[in-house]
Amino acid sequence: MEGVHVTTAAIISFIERLEEQSSAFYDELTERWEESREALATFSEDGRRNRTLVVRTYQETISDALEATYSFEGLDLKGHAVDTALAGDASYADALAMAVALEEKACRFYSDVAERSQSLLATIPRAFQRVAKKRERRRLKLQSLLDAAEAGA
Amino acid sequence: MAVLKEPIEEALQLRNYIDGEWVESEGETKEVVNPATGKVIAEVPISTKDEIEEAVEAAKEAYPDWRRTPPLARARCLFRLKELLEENFEELSRIQTMEHGKTIDESRGETRRGIEMVEVATGIPSLMMGCNLEDIASGIDEYLIRQPLGVFGIIGPFNFPFMVPLWFAPFAVATGNCIVLKPSSEDPLSQIKIVELAEEAGIPPGVWNLVNGGRTVVSGMLDHPDIKGICFVGSTPVGRDVIYRRCGETGKRVIVMCGAKNFALVMPDADLESTIAACMTSFYGNTGQRCLANANLVVVGEGLSEQELEAFYKKVVDAFVASASKIRMGYGLDDTVHMGPLRDEGKKENVLQYVEKGIEEGATLTLDGRQFELVEDLPEACFVGPTVFEDVTLDMAIAKEEIFGPVACMMKATSLDEAIGMIHQIPFGNAASIFTGSGKWAREFQYRVECGNIGINVGIAAPMAFFPFSGMKDSFFGTLHGQGPEAIRFFTESKVVIQRWF
Repeated sequence: MEGVHVTTAAIISFIERLEEQSSAFYDELTERWEESREALATFSEDGRRNRTLVVRTYQETISDALEATYSFEGLDLKGHAVDTALAGDASYADALAMAVALEEKACRFYSDVAERSQSLLATIPRAFQRVAKKRERRRLKLQSLLDAAEAGA
Repeated sequence: MAVLKEPIEEALQLRNYIDGEWVESEGETKEVVNPATGKVIAEVPISTKDEIEEAVEAAKEAYPDWRRTPPLARARCLFRLKELLEENFEELSRIQTMEHGKTIDESRGETRRGIEMVEVATGIPSLMMGCNLEDIASGIDEYLIRQPLGVFGIIGPFNFPFMVPLWFAPFAVATGNCIVLKPSSEDPLSQIKIVELAEEAGIPPGVWNLVNGGRTVVSGMLDHPDIKGICFVGSTPVGRDVIYRRCGETGKRVIVMCGAKNFALVMPDADLESTIAACMTSFYGNTGQRCLANANLVVVGEGLSEQELEAFYKKVVDAFVASASKIRMGYGLDDTVHMGPLRDEGKKENVLQYVEKGIEEGATLTLDGRQFELVEDLPEACFVGPTVFEDVTLDMAIAKEEIFGPVACMMKATSLDEAIGMIHQIPFGNAASIFTGSGKWAREFQYRVECGNIGINVGIAAPMAFFPFSGMKDSFFGTLHGQGPEAIRFFTESKVVIQRWF
């Protein structure tokens, strides 16, 4: 039954893990490739901000009466899981390609849950949309870095 | 699947909080058991008559200074308390799941609702203002001031152990009164945590006292001449026949909020998908242990032929049963779970007796909650699955008595008029909901139905902190309700001054 009627709590736990994973990934990326530091300086911190934004919105919106047993019908959380393990011999371009894929997946996840939570009080889907947009902007930035890295190579 | 970390690792020995000190009780103790796991999480004292007297004495002594504390300073204490509650939001929520059994989403919702009470009470400098009028006669002015009364007793229920005492406590304290609070002995832990935070927030000794226990503590409050009023939430027999009666005899103010048997009406033009989603929360949220839960669903055939009503009824019930069948049951700290256990084995036994009674009375058991699966290996002692009865008539016990469990009764009515008549045949009047796209039907419903809280396309008509939590008939005894401006009036006396200067 998991993945069919997903609770709001499960979504929040997933987001906490996703943002934590993202932050750790960008910490590692900026540590291993000096050239990424300036461009990706805020990416790790952004993960913590995204998490705070969503958790705060959820905690301030959820009430026992309206949202407690809300289900995200048909959502497959496993399908939204991300891979953030950088191989030891990965090149900078490999790492950027992984980052682009991560942002793409994260954006798709946030857009998906925003769409599925339209009947929750507006604040929750709005918070998901905000993070989806941020993730999309990051994907574009990463894509241009990747294009430049590939052109340089 | 993620099972969240339990904030209580070893059984706690609970104490009373009297006059700013945590004190051991001389009374016997009782185990507080996590209903999902069967683990003992605390030992709660059943305090003695002397201990309740000590607490009232402490409150009485603290009162003169507290009432002289400017409302703005009292509000600052509540602002600090609100901040501490926010900081401890997650721990408070997990404690509720452990002590009560509700899911983590439900506990977080309860925490939010409780914090909102404190938030609203921080507005006390404005909320407590009186009024005045110049020249009521030539050269004479009149004004009204609101003054606190002294000591109030608050008796909490088991079903919302964190939130319900906060319907009263912040308003009582904000208005300058002192309180003695008795949490439910079944799940007192979140109230203990609130008091720890109230102490940290700087609320002075004696203002907010907590005494654990049972009947002795309640009797001690009811009989004590220094307690000016009582706030009680619990069953109708106790509320009406013990609390309300005794407060009348001893001249105390009283808010008594009691049992319920709430109806949801589904009209032919209702948005079925949204209606069923709302019904799942309403009928099965908090495992049905909620005085605003709907228990009877009436499919209304206003404007439909007999055959059309039959078809519409089938569509609604099929969708309801299909949705209820998908509810995942387990430990509330598993964040994939939709419904937790009942609070204890006795409550499960009570629900099972009603299921048997329903069958004996001739209702059809469409979904049998006695058969269920849990998402993990847990003791089944307190669990009952979502249950649906059809062919229910209003003379059956399952239709008119409060079951306080996850049991839904399906009925039909040919018209809105007939459906409203059904609601009025029940002695309770706590809440009722209508699901419809018609403003005309919705208005007719809210105008005529004798219930204190009305939901229009809302399954649980739970008033926010700045509105009174209403109730009628056998669901409420008293005059003023808890929460918001009515609570301010309850906890204050109106004094009128008429002045003339020569």
